[in-house]
Formats: sequence, C-alpha cells, structure tokens
Amino acid sequence: MTPPALKWVRFLRNYGPLPTNSNLFDEHVNVALSQANVSPISLPTPYVDEMLAYVKTDKNGSLLIAGTAGDGKTYHARQLWLRLGGNEKKWAAREKIQTLELPGRSVVFVKDLSELKGPEGEKILDGLEQSVEGNENTTVYVIACNHGQILDRLRKSRDAEDVPSPLLAPVQNAFFQDGFEHPRLKVIDLSRSGHRQSLSAVIKAVMEHPEWDRCSSCELNQGERICPIAENRKRAIGLEDGGRFAHRLGDLIEIARLNGAHLPVRDLLALAANLLLGHNHPSVKEGLMSCSDVVQIQDDDAVDQGSIYRNVFAANLPYRRAMARPVFKTLRSFGIGEETTNGADGLLVYGSDDTRLRADFDQFVGADRVYGATKEYLALQKQYLEGEESVRLEEGARGFLDRLADQRQRLFFTLPDEVYSKYPFWNLTTFRFAGDYLRLLHSVVPGESKRLVEEKIRSRLVQGLNRVMTGLLLDNSDIVFIANSGGFTQSKISVLCESAVPSYRTGGIGMHIRWEKNGQRPCLDISVGGGNQGSVPFDLTPVRFEFLCRVAEGALPSSFSNECFEDLLAFKARLLRKAELVRAQGHGNEGDDDDTAEEHASLGLTFIEIEQNGHGFLKRISVRNA
Amino acid sequence: MAPRIEHASFAVDEHIWGHRLYDEQLPHLVILEFLNVLQSNLNDPLNAPPSVKISYQPQHQIRLRSLLFNNPYVEVVRARKIPDDTKWDTWIEQFKRDAVEIEDMFFDHLRKSFTSFDDFARSIELLRSSAFEGKSNKRWSSKFVFPFGPDALYEDLRFDANNHASNDRRFFARTGELLYLMLGRASNGRVLGHQLVERLFRRPSNMNQLVKVLQGSVQQAPNRRDVGYLPYAQLPRFDRLCDDWLAILGRDIPIYDGLDHITIITGLNLLLYFLESGKNSLGDVEPVEIVCEVVSSQRTKVRALSGESFQANQTISLRAVKALVENVRTTPEWEAALNSEDPKGECAHIMAERFQYDKDDEIDIHQLSGERLIEELLKKAETRHAQHVEKIHNTWSRAIGLSSRRLARRVRYAPNDRFLKALVVTVVDDRMEFGEFLAEIYRRYGLVIGHIEGTRHIQNNQVDQEALMNNAEHLETRLYGLGLVRRLSDSCAFVENPFNRQGGM
Repeated sequence: MTPPALKWVRFLRNYGPLPTNSNLFDEHVNVALSQANVSPISLPTPYVDEMLAYVKTDKNGSLLIAGTAGDGKTYHARQLWLRLGGNEKKWAAREKIQTLELPGRSVVFVKDLSELKGPEGEKILDGLEQSVEGNENTTVYVIACNHGQILDRLRKSRDAEDVPSPLLAPVQNAFFQDGFEHPRLKVIDLSRSGHRQSLSAVIKAVMEHPEWDRCSSCELNQGERICPIAENRKRAIGLEDGGRFAHRLGDLIEIARLNGAHLPVRDLLALAANLLLGHNHPSVKEGLMSCSDVVQIQDDDAVDQGSIYRNVFAANLPYRRAMARPVFKTLRSFGIGEETTNGADGLLVYGSDDTRLRADFDQFVGADRVYGATKEYLALQKQYLEGEESVRLEEGARGFLDRLADQRQRLFFTLPDEVYSKYPFWNLTTFRFAGDYLRLLHSVVPGESKRLVEEKIRSRLVQGLNRVMTGLLLDNSDIVFIANSGGFTQSKISVLCESAVPSYRTGGIGMHIRWEKNGQRPCLDISVGGGNQGSVPFDLTPVRFEFLCRVAEGALPSSFSNECFEDLLAFKARLLRKAELVRAQGHGNEGDDDDTAEEHASLGLTFIEIEQNGHGFLKRISVRNA
Repeated sequence: MAPRIEHASFAVDEHIWGHRLYDEQLPHLVILEFLNVLQSNLNDPLNAPPSVKISYQPQHQIRLRSLLFNNPYVEVVRARKIPDDTKWDTWIEQFKRDAVEIEDMFFDHLRKSFTSFDDFARSIELLRSSAFEGKSNKRWSSKFVFPFGPDALYEDLRFDANNHASNDRRFFARTGELLYLMLGRASNGRVLGHQLVERLFRRPSNMNQLVKVLQGSVQQAPNRRDVGYLPYAQLPRFDRLCDDWLAILGRDIPIYDGLDHITIITGLNLLLYFLESGKNSLGDVEPVEIVCEVVSSQRTKVRALSGESFQANQTISLRAVKALVENVRTTPEWEAALNSEDPKGECAHIMAERFQYDKDDEIDIHQLSGERLIEELLKKAETRHAQHVEKIHNTWSRAIGLSSRRLARRVRYAPNDRFLKALVVTVVDDRMEFGEFLAEIYRRYGLVIGHIEGTRHIQNNQVDQEALMNNAEHLETRLYGLGLVRRLSDSCAFVENPFNRQGGM
C-alpha cells in the first residue's frame, strides 16, 4: 500500500535542508504545489496590512521590503500584490519588475533588487529617488532588497559632483534605528521580526497542516508500529506536556536572536521539516525520510535514531552540511549533548540501578519507550556498567557515549520546570544562566505585567561588573565601583575609585536595569550623576550576561571571554569619561562653597581595599597639597 | 640648505629623515619627549614653521623619579609591624643611602603631606603600577611615570658614578622633537596644540597633584636647547598625523586612554613617514603598501605575501641612503667639478657642502678622487645606517603591534588587537561600511587587507583573489569579536566606533 501522506511528505521534504531545497524559494513554490496537489503552507504575514494601508494612502511615497535572504521578502511582495488586486499568473511570469495600475498612480514592484543589473537598476533607483526626495506621486515603488545590496548601490550611485544619493542616509538610518520614520519612505525590515513568534508560526503551520489528516489511516502507524514522523509531530505539537518542546526550542531561538544571530524564515522552515523528517538510516536519502523509508526503519529497530531531539541539532546530517545552515550552526553552538552536569549524567548512567535515582529514572527516561529507555539504550547501558571487555577497548564505549549525548539532548527538551532545582536543564547548555536571563528579559519587557528584577540576578550582575571593573575578587553586590588604574583603562587592576554608585537607581544615581528598545533586550544603565547626561547604557546580550554571571561565580571560560571583556572595557572607559565630565561640571558649579578652601589645600584619593572575606571597602587617603 | 648637524662627521640619513629618527626610541618614548617640548611652548603651542626656531627646557624631576624607581625599600618598610614614625625613619635612612642628593627638608615635606607612611607607600605603588615599563630592567633614570600632567613630565637621563645627570640621548633621541615639528607644521597644528594644552596642562588631574606632592618644586634642566632638524616644511603625512590626533581627542574616552591610541597611530604615521621619505629619496612614486595578514585559526595564503611586503619595505631605507649618495654623480656641479682644474678639490668641496663630509679620521679625504670619495662616504653611511636607522621599520612596527612573528618564522605584517582597535577609534567617526573602512585604511596608511586594495598583487599572480577576500573576512570576524563590527545581514557589516560622541552600545 502507498502511504496516504506520501505526496505531502515528499512536498514537505523539499523544505528541508537538502542541497537543492527549491521549495524554499517563493519563486518556485507554486510549481511544486501544483505538482504535489496539496494546499500550501501558509504563514502569517503581519506586515502586509501595514504595507497595504501605506500603499493605498495618497501621497505617501515608496516602500522598501528589506531583509536577509530567506526572510520572505518576495513572499511579502507577492502577498501585497495579490491584496492590491494583482493577478497571480502575471506575478508568476518571469519579469523582474511588475506594474500594477491603481486609480491615479502606478505601483511598480521589484521582486528582487539584486537581479536588476546596470541601467535597469539605476532607472529604478532614480525613480525611487524621485518618489522619496522629489515628491513625485504618480509612481509608487515597492522594492524587495537585501540590506547590503541597496546600501552598496546607493553609495555607488553618485551624481556629477560626486555626491552620494540623498537616499543613502535615510535608508541606512532606517536599518540601524528601530522606530525610524521618514515622511516619504517606509522601510519594512523583515530581519527585525521576532524569531520566537516566527518559529511558533512556522511550527504551527507545518505541524497542523490539514494534509496530516491522511496519516490517520496509515498502516505504518498502527498497533506496535510507530512511525517516527508521526511521533515527532506529536511531540512538536506537545498536547501531553503543554508544548514543552516547542517552548524550549523557542527559548533557544530567542537567546540566539538576542545574541545577534539572524534566522530567516527560510531557515526556520528547514528546521521544522528536519525536526519531523530527519533520520540517518543508510537507506534514507539525504538524511530526510519520506514515507517509503519508514517500514525499513521500523524493521531495523532504528526509530529512535530519528528522534526529534537529535534532529533539532541536525544529527541526521553530516557535520559540514549541518554547519552550512545558519540555523543548525546556531543551535549547535549551545553545546547541548556535550555540556552536562553530574546530576544529569548520574541519572542517565546509574539511574536504573541506583535505588535513590530509580524513581526519577523511570519518570524522565524509562517512561519514554520510543526515544528514551529503548531496548538498545538499556542494553548498551548494561554493557557499559558491567564493564564488558569490549567497552574497555579504545572507542569501545563510543556507542553508549553517543546515546548518552542523545539523551542529554532529550532531557533538555523534556525535563519539567518543576524539577529545575534538582535537574537544571540550562546547565546542559553553554548558557548556564539563560533561564535567569529570560526571566530578567520578561521583567523588563514593556507590555507585560511589571515585575521587579530578581535580587539574586541583580546582585550577581553587580558582582561580575565589580570584578571586571577593578580586577579584584570583590563580593560587593550593593554598590558598583567605577575604578581607575591611574593610567590606561585596559590595565588589569584598577584600585582607584572614581565613583561608587548604588546598585539601584536612587536620586538619579546608580544602576538601573531597563528595556532597550533598539536592541529589544535588557540594558544596564549606570548613572554617575548629573541627570540624564550622566548615564551610560550597556546592552545586555545573553553572552554578556553569561560572562558577568560566570565572572561573579569565579570562573572565566576562555571561549567567549575576549569579546565580552573588550565590550566591558569599552563600557568602563565610557563610564570613567562620564565620571570625569560630571566631576568637571560639579567643580564649575561649586563656586564659593565653604569646603572649597579646604579641598584645595588637600587632595583626596579613594582606594578600593579588600577584606579577607572579599568585601571591598573604600579607603580614602588625603594628601596635603604642595 | 640643511643646517649643520652637530657632533656628526657626515650627514646622509639626516637629509632624508631629519635629525633624527632613532630605533630605540619607541613610540611611547617619542610621545613623552614630545610632551616635554610642548610643555616649554605652552603660549604658542605647535606653531613650528621652518622659519621659527623651536627650543625647550625639559624638567628633571629627580626627586619624583627617585621615589618611584630608585626606591626598593618602601614596600619592605610598609610591611613591617612598627610604629608609623619608625617606618618613616627607617625608610629615610635606607633611601638616602643611594639616592641622588636630596635635602632633608624634603623628607619633612613628605611626612607632612601624607597622613601615614602606609598612605605614602600606597601612593607610590599606584604610580608605579601605571608607569611605562615600570617593571622592565631599564636603568631607573629611563623609567617614566604616566604623563598625568605638567608635573609628571621629565626627560631621559643618565646618572654617572658621581650622580651627575647628563642627557645621553639613549631613549630621548630627538624623535619626539621631530614629532613636535611635524605636528607644528601640519595645517591644523595650532588647533591641536590648544586642545592638548587645555586638556593636559591647564586642568591638572588628581594624579598630577599626587605627583606634584612627591616631587615638590619643579627641577629643570639647566639650559634651554634647540630641537632637531626636520627637512620638510610640509607633507601630507604631517597633516594626516595631526588630524588623527584630533580625531582621537574628539572621542568620548578619558584622555589617558586616548594616549594609548595616539601612541599607536603616531607610531604608524612615523613609520610611514620613514618609508615614504625613503621612497621619495629613491625617486619611487608608488605609494607605500603594507600587506597585512589577519591571523586566524587556519594558515592563510596571505602570510607569504605579507612577509614579502615586510621584506620589501625593510630594504627601502638602505637603498635610499645609497641613492642619495650616489645621485651626486648625476648633478651638473659634479660634472663641472670633474672637468675643473682641481677635480679632487672641487669634488671634496661638493661632498663637504652636501654631506658635511669634510674630514675623516682614517683617511685623508683630500687625496681621494671623486669616485673614491663617494665610495668612502657610502661605506661609512651604510655602516652607520645599519646601526640604528635601518632597524626602525622592524622595531617600531613590532612596538605598535603591526608586525609579528606569531605562528611563523619570518616577520610579517600581522596586526594585533590593540593596533586594530586604535585604527577603528581613529578612522571611524560613528560607523562606516566595512568595505569603505578597508578602502579608507588603504588610502590613509597603505594597509592592504581585502581584494580590492590588493588588486595589483592579484594581477601579478602573487596571491589569488579568494585568499584576500578571506583575509578581509577574518578581519571582520576579529573586529566583531572586539565589539567593533555590527552585522546587518548577509555580506553587510559596519565598523562601529564604541566611543563616538552620541555613544550607543
């Protein structure tokens, strides 16, 4: 019997990380759809309404749809075209430029600016300039483009006097500043859209696609037979555990985005397809299953090698092919599978024999007969524990150790939040403090109910800051020392205190953890006095947060420390400069203060000294002036 | 006509580079010497056209430097558990033993200034920790406190067995004087001069106050003296140098941090001045190029090219010396001299006029033919050149972090993080597209990193385009790691200066 969802799965497979993933280009997807005779995967296009309203309003100027390859620029342009009443067939024609006549003006669509070479491209940019700078209202441009391309073109298009295009500055500013507005140019930057929402939309669109209904009649998923595709889909939807898998995956994507990674929708679609279809069975082509592979996999008892938890990290693909995809490279950078804790490994290795761990083992490993305590896992575990001859040979334990890595990956996605104190799943990643980071994020993000930043988080940040600022192993968490070495800021040890501010903002001075709109993340804002002018912001990315937390704990991993250390030195230099300016202002205002005479007679230097227990305190020495 | 260079039996290097550039005077020592000259010219800073004679009277600050660098006793005494007064007495006794004469009154002044001996010791320690080469094994009289302000400046000195101070020009060899002239001849020199005076001299910092307490009244060199000789009234390089200083001073950083970037960028510009003047003497009109390998985890094909680039530049100065001497043959005067009645005498006269070569301890130069004279002078000039001036390229480029032998046997241009950071802070006002940045550092400093700037080498088949593209990519990654690059999307990156005025992080 032909599996009922064969065509649909084959269609979906084309979205996966194949060397020729033609479905991932909007330009080709229509052809594939009609061949497979399935309904399309439709994703929400939240920007289209905004775009539509903009283009429909008179005298508004033009529109740029910017983004990275795979963000869905052409997809958005096509949706706008259709919503404005454009013809689907006409769009599908090969022309790179399409014009739509609306009452009183024409709307010129450019599907992809990079495809327009030479004079053709120049003409479009001239037209755009007329529309934006020349107040020309009869032609409106809708241009899909990459950031780099359009900036490069605008930079190179110089007039006779070698002045660059007047569009360069506004376009560049729109890319760098969130909330940038221009009276006659609208920029929709798809690379800024929140990945977490995009991921849930993609997962929803793929997992809840109506074609899956066909599977209910499939013999490959009846009785004893478990179809890995259906099993993965079930876990991705997560009806039983409240969508824990999708939520944790969303956390990872969120952390990656806040660290500056950009994952276009095209990549998220590839991820979603891989989650369901990834398998490295030798009979599976390109590491992605189709329905016809399932029987063989079941007969070989290899269902667990198509586990969704392995597929997140593209364990089904050869290393190079996985790393060629930003999404898998990014997800692998979390080190899930390699990072571990004694607790997790103890559970996985000794859990079935140790009476104290038995209950946990049964709950978190044994209960999952498909991807957890499979027959093979239990056999390898036994072999490993009983120290058979083979495992003592070099690489002899490899089989079990590989399974162990699989299980750590599974645990990351399945351990319930309630057991976090016992099995902290973030410790299974390189971002051990990511959980704290996300809570911090939610306590400052606008719109959500205001919560205070947890004291524990704040004091750990302050400790980390103090240690970096001074180079001393300080434990103070209520005060931020802004310290100077006397000479260069880069000096490792700085013992001269220029300013010490509280870890809470009081009276306009001190540290404040707030939301930074431009980076869409939390930000440390330290004010050394002097009102708004006296504060210096520091964008708190997850990497920087992790760095500060680890420094506070006394460990400094070399892998990512250099970058963060440099960032923090720059922050310190700016704080010192600010303190210098504020002090200079203060001196200017003092006038004939009573203290002045005495101050001139003596010079005060404040040293940071450290007690046995790590508590730093200020020791002021005064030197009588010569 | 060049002035006579004193204490020199001939002058060749001096005509190309001035009197003088010196290899052992590393860029930070150049800056320190420069500040000494500036300090004596606060009323009309950095106004130094060739018509104006610049002179200065540096400080000696012997008490200060003795306390900081010729005073190993202070920690030992501080650590002892004895009453404060006893500490002072013990220390004074030990310190006086080999200190350069210091009046007893000065110790009273110190005791009065500090509340306790421990405070005194702590202050010394602080100043030492920020000193240049504080821990090196240089003689104590060649160690320098950080230039906090007017009281922290003094010149390099030698103390003989009788504690007589003299300036042996070991580390202050006039390169700082030349720097003063270069900046003083730049179009924006006076603007820079006023800014420096304002920020370093008119508003002395706390640290300067502390230094002042340790020094007491100023100790100066006995006489005012003239600065060295710079052969050029103006050069684009001088303007570049000056504008780079102004750019750094305009950034949102403490002035002391600015000095670190200034040191590196000054070293780079002086190095380019050295290479460019050499090329000029050779009649070579091609701009100086510095092909840099951006070191990454993998070995790259650019390494060989950057090594060659280094070697090629290394040979410029010696060839320049040779060309300058030998070119005398092609002058009409030389032709006339050879055809005169007294060719030996006339040639000797020309050599004396041009190269100050009028006597020789080893041979009677008046007995030599014109050709022999050229040979003799060239031999001497090359020997002297090899001792110091020829080493400048190697020493300075390494000192500023431009060249290195890291992961290789040969020296090549392979900039380190500190150098790259200084480059970004100087060149980028706010943000600059990465490709533009590459073009700009090529335009300003001849630094070749990407394939566009390296076209010539690709056409000559010395390297393939891909290798240079990867090289540029490595730079982008390095700068990203230093927090100096922001990426927008595929192949679109901007270099950002974290210290721009508006400041965003």
